[in-house]
Amino acid sequence: MIKAEHISKHFSGLHALNDASLEVNKGEVVCLIGPSGSGKSTFLRCIHGLETPDGGLVYLEGEALNPKNKESFRRLRNRMGFVFQHFNLFPNMTVLDNCTLAQISVLQKTPEEAEKTAMLYLGKVGLLDKKDSYPNQLSGGQKQRVAIARALCMNPDIMLFDEPTSALDPEMIKEVLEVMQDLAAQGMTMIVVTHEMGFARKVADRVVFLEAGRVIEEADSETFFSNPKTDRAREFLGKVFYN
Amino acid sequence: MSKILTAENLGFLLQGAGLSLLLAFGALTIGMVIGVIMASARLSKVKIFNWLGAIYVELFRGTPMLLQIFFFYLGVPVLIRMVTGVRIRMDVTMVALIALSLNSGAYQTELIRSGIQGVEKGQWEACETLGISYWTMMLKVILPQAFKRIIPPMVSEFITLIKDSSLASCIAVGELMYNTQVLGARYYNYLYPLIIAAVIYLCMTLVISWFARRLERRLAVSD
Repeated sequence: MIKAEHISKHFSGLHALNDASLEVNKGEVVCLIGPSGSGKSTFLRCIHGLETPDGGLVYLEGEALNPKNKESFRRLRNRMGFVFQHFNLFPNMTVLDNCTLAQISVLQKTPEEAEKTAMLYLGKVGLLDKKDSYPNQLSGGQKQRVAIARALCMNPDIMLFDEPTSALDPEMIKEVLEVMQDLAAQGMTMIVVTHEMGFARKVADRVVFLEAGRVIEEADSETFFSNPKTDRAREFLGKVFYN
Repeated sequence: MSKILTAENLGFLLQGAGLSLLLAFGALTIGMVIGVIMASARLSKVKIFNWLGAIYVELFRGTPMLLQIFFFYLGVPVLIRMVTGVRIRMDVTMVALIALSLNSGAYQTELIRSGIQGVEKGQWEACETLGISYWTMMLKVILPQAFKRIIPPMVSEFITLIKDSSLASCIAVGELMYNTQVLGARYYNYLYPLIIAAVIYLCMTLVISWFARRLERRLAVSD
């Protein structure tokens, strides 16, 4: 469904991504893991087009993402939802308005239709009662669930998560992961950058391990966690899990 | 004192104050529209827009407002006659409003630009991932947050405009300062008219400060 081929990205002297490739099939959940600075987030942002790769191409169902072709670029990107580490809700709007703004202005829905869709997804993330609250009145976990609902309102075919629980209080992490697990169970195609190894092991179909901008290891999650092939992945997992 | 301090004279000054306020408010509003457009130009990826914005700001911030008022009153009609051959007479109030708006627009461009740049990068990215178009993003997401940050300097700008509108007296716009001078000349005594005018200016600026503090507190709800 989505394919990233030989992606490279430099940031002023830093080689953030070096020939990274990834293919994700429809309905598949793939977790990108690796140490900080390994290029996971950059990879995800390149896949969405938030960063323009210096080399390589991203294809969505065979069609290349090309910023120069504005019409197709916009159309392809609108099929992807993105969830940020820091939520990035609009603080000047209520939860409901956060969820309806793009539906009305981008999908040309009527306010009534948009509200109906918003209520549907706010219900799915368990926050119907917060629809009239402002983001600053919510906990971190609630904010992230709203951000997920906001992305889902655009009816994406694929959801990208960029460390969705890294900015949360420890006690808020589970409620967000549960929402994501539900989403995966409903067959959503997902690419998740995460440090939550428990989630990756349980929910991901496949795990991609990055270091220094390269994909070092790629395997189905059970194999990866129980029997990693590379020394680097073994070392990483040995340091992450406290036994 | 008693000769000057009649209801009629006070009314005359208050009438001038009304026009001062109107000029300042008009210039603030028009300047804000100019400011939003020019700030967007200054932040645009298109080089030529950056240049246009920068030239506008430097031109109107770097020359005296009195010069600008005279330029629009005395200079522009000559320019129009040279180019089109048509003689026009400008309404002084309109000239003052144009000059004040363009001058304030330059300051507001910089204010709004700093406000826009203060909005978190994540807000732009969120709009980008939702496919929201540039002007929808600006009007619904970025500018509301930008303006909230710049309320205090915007209030200062309004207060400055109320005071600077007194420069319009130089081209005989009947605002507070002009009417003050008229009274002074009529009674050969400037002391009382000037004191009353000062009190009226102070009342206007203090009320605005008070109102702005309330507005700021009300908007703090979503922080």
